[in-house]
Amino acid sequence: MYISDKNKILHTYDAIVIGSGISGGWAAMELCKKGMKTLLLERGRDVKHLVDYPTANLNPWDFKAGMNNTIQDREANPVQSSAYSPADKHFYVSDAEHPYIQEKPFNWYRGYQVGGRSLTWGRQCYRLSDLDFEANHRDGTGVDWPIRYKDLEQWYSYAESFIGVSGNRENLGHLPDGEFLTPMELNCIEKHLGDSIRKNDEHRLLTIARVANLTRGWDNRGPCQNRNLCTRGCPFGGYFSSNSSTIPAAMATGNLTLRPFSIVTEILFDEQKQKARGVRVIDTLTSEVHEFYAKIVFVNASTIATAGLLLNSVSSRFPDGFGNGSGQIGHNLMDHHSSAGAYGVHDQFTDQYYKGRRPCGFLIPRYRNLHPGEKLNFKRGYNIQGHGERQEWMDKAQSIDGFGEDFKAGLTTPGPWTVWMAGWGECLPYFDNQVTPDPSKKDKWGQPLLKIDFTFRENEHKMMTDIEQTSARMLDQAGFKHIESFNYNKPGGSTIHEMGTARMGNDPKTSVLNKFNQMHEAKNVFITDGSCMTSSACQNPSLTYMALTARASQFAYEQLKKGEL
Amino acid sequence: MDRRSYLKSVAGLAVAGTASFSVFKWFSIHRKVVPAEFSSKHELLAELAEMIIPQTDTPGAKAANVHEYIIAVMVDCTSVKEQNKFIDGIAELEEYAAREYGKEFLKCNPAERKAVLKQMAKNSSGYSYKILNKINNKIFGKPFFLKLRELTVEGYCQSRLGATQGLAYDYIPGTFEACIPIRPNQRSWATK
Ligand SMILES: Cc1cc2nc3c(=O)[nH]c(=O)nc-3n(C[C@H](O)[C@H](O)[C@H](O)COP(=O)(O)OP(=O)(O)OC[C@H]3O[C@@H](n4cnc5c(N)ncnc54)[C@H](O)[C@@H]3O)c2cc1C
Ligand code: SF4
Repeated sequence: MYISDKNKILHTYDAIVIGSGISGGWAAMELCKKGMKTLLLERGRDVKHLVDYPTANLNPWDFKAGMNNTIQDREANPVQSSAYSPADKHFYVSDAEHPYIQEKPFNWYRGYQVGGRSLTWGRQCYRLSDLDFEANHRDGTGVDWPIRYKDLEQWYSYAESFIGVSGNRENLGHLPDGEFLTPMELNCIEKHLGDSIRKNDEHRLLTIARVANLTRGWDNRGPCQNRNLCTRGCPFGGYFSSNSSTIPAAMATGNLTLRPFSIVTEILFDEQKQKARGVRVIDTLTSEVHEFYAKIVFVNASTIATAGLLLNSVSSRFPDGFGNGSGQIGHNLMDHHSSAGAYGVHDQFTDQYYKGRRPCGFLIPRYRNLHPGEKLNFKRGYNIQGHGERQEWMDKAQSIDGFGEDFKAGLTTPGPWTVWMAGWGECLPYFDNQVTPDPSKKDKWGQPLLKIDFTFRENEHKMMTDIEQTSARMLDQAGFKHIESFNYNKPGGSTIHEMGTARMGNDPKTSVLNKFNQMHEAKNVFITDGSCMTSSACQNPSLTYMALTARASQFAYEQLKKGEL
Repeated sequence: MDRRSYLKSVAGLAVAGTASFSVFKWFSIHRKVVPAEFSSKHELLAELAEMIIPQTDTPGAKAANVHEYIIAVMVDCTSVKEQNKFIDGIAELEEYAAREYGKEFLKCNPAERKAVLKQMAKNSSGYSYKILNKINNKIFGKPFFLKLRELTVEGYCQSRLGATQGLAYDYIPGTFEACIPIRPNQRSWATK
């Protein structure tokens, strides 16, 4: 393609960020705040805060068929429709339009739009600790993380202070406290379970979830109104999303150019300078191909898409994919598992109720393999996430019989208290769990479809068994009845925490990124989405992506100033 | 219409019955359903829904237009297999009314209607082994009465009248109060 000199200038920025989701929004904001002219490229449509939340204020009766997806829709979008409802469908991609190949069942949930999945995420925010950063090194799995908690601590604080995280300080070594707003509150059954856990297992505890929902007004956003309709977009700005938070802040600097409808198909390599010179983009409205240039490139397309982009960016220097001298790109794909847990019913506290819809549940931080001496048949650990509530109509319709006045009376009054809880478990980095482009099958833009080959292994399955047992036991000790432990056996991807396809590490022979998320083989490329993760820990990961992104942005800016990039 | 000829006229509808699995049955649960089959049952569904959630000191299913919800879900959101199961269930109900009382269900008096629906509920109770029910529901779809009741509940509790009068609906709660004493006659929250 020929680009005139004039166009070339318009096409040149200080920085390019690929993807506007949780991590890309952060990269754009940080770079813009440092005075860099930044181009934020997003493959999907624009979603403007407040303006583009069409369902946010609807009532249940505004949906003709309730929360049921249509049959046609379910057939066209078998994966995505298992995550969305008519209330938030518009924030998920269409499988029919954006296919991928499941070598083994894998749910790849995506949101292609400005804001990515920051609009639909569950907002749970937990720090990793040295238990996590040292884990690979200690048990010889994968490669060692090139950073430790002290490298990230201030950046966690920085990220939390900007997004606003509510939570309770608990003083745990393996789940560090953060800069918290007032926590949300536990209800009486959750407190009861918590008391029982403290009494029976003194090294365990139950606390309120730490979430990026604002318990007070913050930076012109919030407070959260306790509607629990977050996945529709929040008209109060009550939770963190790129749309409500980082992108407006980036925009306010005057340095941001946001370009939606722009699929990045390739990162371009400058053979002479041994650096990236920019990216190639397909404009999805016009089908035109453009090139954009910059001094640095941040890749934040989300784990699997980032791996695909790198593997598709081939040149004579990189015949196996951009920066892939190690051969690790696409490998070591991880996702947490969240299939196993337990459910129980409690017959006390019937005179207690609640008001409002708290948009989060509780957390029981990891309590397995915290100490070297523990003899369990699996490595690493899990945390338990769950919630307590009284049975309402959805539950009661299953548990009461008959019809008529008695049925109605039972249906419309609060039932017994229940607790549902499940383990969010660590998944080890297996080389064979991988993403590869299949050049024989193309999407409508001519891009190879991605093939995902992923399974949970023995370690994860043993952990799930342990989760079932310990959850049921905690409920039993707290006097719950009708306890049922379960394992939904959901396929990979279902926890929507994909990670690890371009891992960090000290050695360029076995890793893709160095300790500043900088590509070993192309110094002006930074990857700070989930693909950088060296191990998965068991905490919900996005807060870590934000902290790493802020840290890498600072590093990139300094290196640029020093003339090192 | 006398009992005999009415019976004859509905016999053609009652296809599935309780026969064991056969090629015929496979065919019958996969046959194509036209939306009109549901729409023509408008009045019947309204009555059935009202019997499940009747008007009391708060509105019932009929006032909340629950039958429209049932039809919308059946037509747009339900697999052919389940649609057929449901249509067959309606036919079975009509056939039972005809057999027992020699008239259309809608012509039956309240006590008769109640007896018919009770019979349908009994037919839905399924096997005493949970696992068999699960398999059965998977292959043949949910039993008619349970599906009807499930849709009635969903439709009612999410309707304007059902949510705001039958239940307690809080559009924008503002605060979250974690533990409060329950009020006398407290209704459950319409939304979680
Ligand atoms: C229902 C749900 C619940 C979740 N709950 C939690 C939780 O509680 N806590 C937590 O930590 N995480 C949670 N997650 C996960 C969280 O959403 C992701 O970890 C996070 O969004 C990843 O950020 P990202 O920037 O890597 O990707 P995304 O937010 O997915 O953004 C990637 C962006 O890149 C764009 N893009 C992709 N390819 C290209 C391309 N070639 N060119 C241009 N643009 C491209 C996409 O359109 C998208 O906008 C949840 C996710 C979901 C869906
Ligand atoms: S619960 Fe809070 S953050 Fe979520 S949509 Fe409601 S007001 Fe917004």
